[in-house]
Amino acid sequence: MSVHEKIKKIMLVDDDIDLLEQHKILLESKGYKIVTAENVEDGWALFKKEKPDACVLDLIMEEHDSGFILCHRIKRDSYGKTIPVFILTSATYITGFKFGSSTNEEKEWIKCDALLNKPIVFEDLLQKIEAFFDVE
Amino acid sequence: MEEQKPQVLIIDDERGLRLVTKRLLESEGYGCDVAENGTNGISIARSKEFDLAIIDLKMPDLDGIEVLKEIRRISPGTICFIVTAYASYETAIESTKLGAYSYIPKPFAPEELLLQLRKGYEKRLLMLEAEKLKKEREERLLEITYEKTRLKTILNSLTEGTIVVNRTGELVLYNSSALKYLDLHEIFIGDVILDILPSEISAMIKKFIDSHEYNSKSYSTQIELRPGKELIVEATCSPVPHPDGSLAGVVTVIRNITESKKVEDIKSQFVSMVAHELKTPVAAVLGFIQIILDEKVFVTAEQEKDFLTRSYNRLQGLVAMVNDLLDISRMELKKTQKEIRELDIQSILQSTIEFLEFELKKKNITVSLKIETTELNLKADQNDITRLFTNLLSNAIKYNNDDGAINISISKHGSYLLTKVSDTGIGMKPEEKIKLFREFSRIKNEKTRGISGTGLGLSIVKRIVDSYAGKINVDSEYNTGTTFSVFLPAG
Repeated sequence: MSVHEKIKKIMLVDDDIDLLEQHKILLESKGYKIVTAENVEDGWALFKKEKPDACVLDLIMEEHDSGFILCHRIKRDSYGKTIPVFILTSATYITGFKFGSSTNEEKEWIKCDALLNKPIVFEDLLQKIEAFFDVE
Repeated sequence: MEEQKPQVLIIDDERGLRLVTKRLLESEGYGCDVAENGTNGISIARSKEFDLAIIDLKMPDLDGIEVLKEIRRISPGTICFIVTAYASYETAIESTKLGAYSYIPKPFAPEELLLQLRKGYEKRLLMLEAEKLKKEREERLLEITYEKTRLKTILNSLTEGTIVVNRTGELVLYNSSALKYLDLHEIFIGDVILDILPSEISAMIKKFIDSHEYNSKSYSTQIELRPGKELIVEATCSPVPHPDGSLAGVVTVIRNITESKKVEDIKSQFVSMVAHELKTPVAAVLGFIQIILDEKVFVTAEQEKDFLTRSYNRLQGLVAMVNDLLDISRMELKKTQKEIRELDIQSILQSTIEFLEFELKKKNITVSLKIETTELNLKADQNDITRLFTNLLSNAIKYNNDDGAINISISKHGSYLLTKVSDTGIGMKPEEKIKLFREFSRIKNEKTRGISGTGLGLSIVKRIVDSYAGKINVDSEYNTGTTFSVFLPAG
């Protein structure tokens, strides 16, 4: 990153503290600043407080759609709608519904910028995050 | 039927003639009865059915014609002959008109009499045969109608819808269940119904009709007849062959599978959930290992040790979960294989408490067991009940505070045995209670941070309770404690 670029802050929300820590370590090793939360309420409070440059949310936390709920809230926020929100899920086959946010329809309904399958391939996540930051 | 002797009635006032004729006929294989006057003749005719009757015209008491009339009335099937010495055309015609088969003038030669009788008897046999055939035909027709009614009754009592069409797609047979499933008000035999039927069914029927070769294979498909999975049926079409092997028509059977689909859905949802739950610890362990192995990411020796320890713990959790799942699967199988015995619930609780002694000591938890009834018997599988209370007590320890207490009481509640397991632990909030027995559901808050579990313990408890038609209630207050009340039918 060039010197005058601000260090990007990424918010991670996941109820699995091991995964949370792993993603934190990996992203920090790439130069990002990481803030974390373990549930929807804490995640929302953290978002308001930290105003991150990107959010990575787990889908299934207290409820089966916790990630969607938080994502929706963030996107409705005047600041939140300007930042990318990614959702991680291993729920691809839970309802027999193959999640994807590639079609415009799905994007409309899901309202996140990308949906990634767990266990995630870290390079994948990194690439998507950087793609958003590069576009800016 | 064995060939019976033709039975002849001879009515003649001339004794000699009677005897001679009788002897003659008997020697020719006839059975004979005689009467010396009309009155007797009539009374004999009333008592027995004769094939043939020989009636003398002129008799002292009754005119032969009168006797003829009466016998024709009594037994219309009897072939009657009028014999008389006073032969005349008028009498001949009159007697024939009145139903005599033939008129034999006296004196007659034996051969002549025999010939006439033979012809008369042939006619008699034909008449009897015709009667018999007529009766059989009537019975057959009755049978067919009865069969048709029976078929209709049987068809209409089937819960499966049945529709039969012929080779040109016209309706041949149907039942009321078919109307119900297809939501049709009325259809008529002969209607061309392929267009009215759901397209999936018509398509299958057309396959048979269009095929040039008869093949006994059936086709099946599932159709959602009412949206929202409200009515799902399985339609099976099979060909109906002619005796010569060509296609006579197609029979469609419609079966309601809505319930079994629901069960299927629940099962496959469970399988998905299991897959998810198994993947999660594996993903965590993979993540840690990847970081340790990644040269581009720096980890301290301490971190490495920490990651390995956490990986180890996650894997142990995975093993526990797999074991619980195996238990659930075993329980599903055991639904029909339980070993029901008379159990003493007190001794089961006591041995469970002993089994968990180590965990109890570790947190310094005291256990009290209060017995409030003498009837402590239960008819159940020992493994089930042991498992039930092991899970409840294990939770009561895990979610308890150090130096806390567990109070167990057993009492009789109507026809149930009520066991209460009460702890002085962290309790739950109302919204946490709702998901309590759900598979894989674990309460996640600051207090439950360090507590390990598979999320299946209470789901197993509930399955066991349900399998004995029992009941389980939960009372809980956040920060104060939780009480489980288990009702099991007393043995």
